[in-house]
Amino acid sequence: MRPVAEIAIERQRLNDLTRSFFRSRGYVEVETPTLVASPDVSPNLTHFETVLKAPGEQDRAGALITSPEFSMKKLLGQGMEKIFTLARVFRNDENLGGTHNPEFTMLEWYKQGGDYREMMDETEALVQYVCREMLDTHMSRSGQVGVQLFRRVRVRDLLLETAGVDLDSATSDELRKACDRLGIHHDASDTESDLFYRLFLAKAEPAIGNAPTFVYDYPAYQAALAALTPDGKYAQRVELYVDGLEISNGFTELTDATEQRRRFEKEIEERREAGKRAFPVDEELLALLPSVRSPTYGNALGLDRLHMLCVGTKEIGDVLLFPAKRLFN
Amino acid sequence: MSPNDIKKGTVIRYEGDLWIVMDFQRVSPGKGSSFVRTRMKNLKSGKMVENNFKSAENLDFEDVQYKKMQYLFTDGNLYTFMDNQSYEQVALSASDIGDDVKYLKEGIEVTILTYNDLPLTVQLPKKIQYTVKNTEPAVKGDTASGNVTKEAFMDNGLMVKVPIFVGEGDVIVVNTEDGAYSERVAG
Repeated sequence: MRPVAEIAIERQRLNDLTRSFFRSRGYVEVETPTLVASPDVSPNLTHFETVLKAPGEQDRAGALITSPEFSMKKLLGQGMEKIFTLARVFRNDENLGGTHNPEFTMLEWYKQGGDYREMMDETEALVQYVCREMLDTHMSRSGQVGVQLFRRVRVRDLLLETAGVDLDSATSDELRKACDRLGIHHDASDTESDLFYRLFLAKAEPAIGNAPTFVYDYPAYQAALAALTPDGKYAQRVELYVDGLEISNGFTELTDATEQRRRFEKEIEERREAGKRAFPVDEELLALLPSVRSPTYGNALGLDRLHMLCVGTKEIGDVLLFPAKRLFN
Repeated sequence: MSPNDIKKGTVIRYEGDLWIVMDFQRVSPGKGSSFVRTRMKNLKSGKMVENNFKSAENLDFEDVQYKKMQYLFTDGNLYTFMDNQSYEQVALSASDIGDDVKYLKEGIEVTILTYNDLPLTVQLPKKIQYTVKNTEPAVKGDTASGNVTKEAFMDNGLMVKVPIFVGEGDVIVVNTEDGAYSERVAG
């Protein structure tokens, strides 16, 4: 176990550096709710569910947020241009320990008027700045990342190189054949998205390597809340990997409320099928979304993972004062 | 069964063979189905493979028994373990045990997996204590030249990279998942 005083001082410094980075660029720090009525409805997320009780009123279902995204976008829709938050977020049914803790700190920021390319520039500047400045408390890995140029690679190019599949033209059947050719297990129930992700997990992700790398332009079926590229084939979504670990996930944001409603309803249906609670669509978000300018970018970065990178550990418990693994031992 | 129910030590029948799960991790893409990244060992050949199972898939879990036993001795070919309550003994070959054989040390308690009364393999405790039998003393200037670890040989012959302050006769804890030095408990 690392000494708690060391962890606390590092985290304090990391928070300070993050705040000063965004303030110097004209961002406003905002506080967003942790307890909400309409959390993210992504089918693979499991929420910490709870019940809101108030005297004289009916009980209402609620959940702890898995990301502050919806609240952040509502603020954009009300005219805020550049915002960031350091939010505590909660995800149930994930590995306990290793690179995961059920509650963790998410740094999220949004800027109206910029797209995901500008977001990559800004993310690179942030991570380099933090890593360089953390050097006086630490360490060689942090120093390397602080001066390295980050690689940028399209998902399509990565998959072509590592699995011999061209996503520009590949059909589901070709993805399935590629799995067979490469000895990758697949299942009869697999969708095109599942087959893509099997190839990505087995071949592309391990090839990303340790150098800081932005992986971008995911296939449209992995769009989440991202806008599509002009040809409609890819989502303007980008993930940053360092030392093989995913540090951030962001998009050029989808601002089309009709398309967003369609995606939400599909996801809620998938949740129902998987036997998960189908929380109501966030109507306030859909009402405000058309007021968000296009393009707008947003990025979500795991602050604990950035902390892990700075001190060179692969265990999230090394950067938390109270890892859940110990609390629930 | 769903891959979501996988635990370390779960035995799966997959492509006709029995496989034991050595390690697993849930992975959720930003969008789409979640997967369980599974590192598993073939119980017959000892071959290690990584497979990604989608949470919605159906896997055949085999019903195996887990029994705490003490490691007694080896005759060079077979490794003998005993149940301290029933005094029942079982023997496994080095290939049944695989890489983990190097961690065995007389007297330690392990878990023996059996399937239809047939012993399959051994699960080690996560951490085992060893006494350092042999290591070079630290040399002045080691740290400056970047040598922060050195080789040390344990009482059962296991080699572990240890920090330079560890000396002969010290008792150290070794992580059996990756063979890494964990801490010194007595010097």
